[in-house]
Amino acid sequence: MNMQSYFPVPPGVGMEENFLSLDDILLSHERLPVRSDCAFPRLGFLEKSADTQDIAEGTKMELPLWLTKGLYEKKRKVVSVELPKVYREGWRTVFNADPNVVDLHKMGPYYYSLGSQLLHFDSPENPDIAQTLLQTFIGRFRRTMDSSQNAYNEDTSAVVERLDSLEKGLFRSGQIGLNGFQSWEKGQATQLTASSLVLNYRKRKITDIQP
Amino acid sequence: MTTSSGPWSDCMPASLAAREILCVVNVREKSHQTRPNQTNKMDPSEVEFLAEKETVKIIPNFSLDKIFLIGGDLGPFNPGLPVDVPVWLALNLKQRQKCRIVPPEWMEVEKLEDIREQERKEKTFTPVPSPYYMELTKLLLNHASDNIPKADEIRTLVKDIWDTRIAKLRLSTDSFISQQEAHAKLDNLTLMEINTIRAFFLDSLNCMYKLRSNLQPGSSQGQFMDY
Repeated sequence: MNMQSYFPVPPGVGMEENFLSLDDILLSHERLPVRSDCAFPRLGFLEKSADTQDIAEGTKMELPLWLTKGLYEKKRKVVSVELPKVYREGWRTVFNADPNVVDLHKMGPYYYSLGSQLLHFDSPENPDIAQTLLQTFIGRFRRTMDSSQNAYNEDTSAVVERLDSLEKGLFRSGQIGLNGFQSWEKGQATQLTASSLVLNYRKRKITDIQP
Repeated sequence: MTTSSGPWSDCMPASLAAREILCVVNVREKSHQTRPNQTNKMDPSEVEFLAEKETVKIIPNFSLDKIFLIGGDLGPFNPGLPVDVPVWLALNLKQRQKCRIVPPEWMEVEKLEDIREQERKEKTFTPVPSPYYMELTKLLLNHASDNIPKADEIRTLVKDIWDTRIAKLRLSTDSFISQQEAHAKLDNLTLMEINTIRAFFLDSLNCMYKLRSNLQPGSSQGQFMDY
């Protein structure tokens, strides 16, 4: 049984983000390479690489996803977004060849979510990116499933290490199913256990409350 | 209910009533689904609870008139005469040595061997003898193994059948995902089998659906709604 004391909000995965999801908050801090399409006067102090007062047009820099999303507009060119290298043609070929060999945690760790977010920025490669994301997920699915359904009572860190944060969530729910079944089969499910609240409860001394 | 005769010692009516009330409460809770985050989770012990409603034959060694419960009438009980009762009552009586349990007719080594061979031969799921075969095997073998001949062999056979079916389930899940199917027929799958993979499968389908809806631009283009 799930012993979490709060209900975590799942990540939005697609093009929308879940406002309250911790994963999506972390995702919004991923950096994207962008190029400014107009000058930002007097904002040079934000860009440490150059020693000018303004950020000139055509400066290349890295901005977090949340800021890029805010600045990006289709009609008024403010910034243009370049694809991070894992989503470019070269890496896409690798993913299409065999998605299982890739260490998505190193590539991401929000490979799927960030890829979906990139679709907000109009790029001619968008359909290819979306297709690669889907194919990668499908290609890696079998391994995620088998490892989550078979790793009982052993160290799973080696398996989990190479998974994307989305796949980690799936792995966890697979493990819940497996552990639930195994503990039922061994007869542990019928044993009643005391609540941790009761076990940790101690009588308070008056001196603890009144310093 | 007549409480005067033998087997219904003082605690018995109370425990009977408790079980009946538990049934009702459980059904009500399931239909309400007030806990939003647990909708796709079901504990194996809940599945077992449902399995306990299956009937099994017992041979009582006491006599008692018909008893009337919410779930239906049971009895009358006569020593030596087989009678159908739900599994939970059978186990309760068995634990207090008030009856002998007659194993269900499929719980035999030859029949289970046939089923196992069939299951290994066919590519699809074959019909199982009981929708709760796994739960019933575990319950009956754990509590009444002395009434079941060749209990150990049966346990191994059922486990074999289960493993074969789970492997098949995994295989078909994988082909379901890789071919991006929209629906699947789950004929002959039992509740317990579905339950082990439910959470994982639903979550992955959700993810896949979202990744797929990325393919159609404009479907969710509520551009920057959150800013």
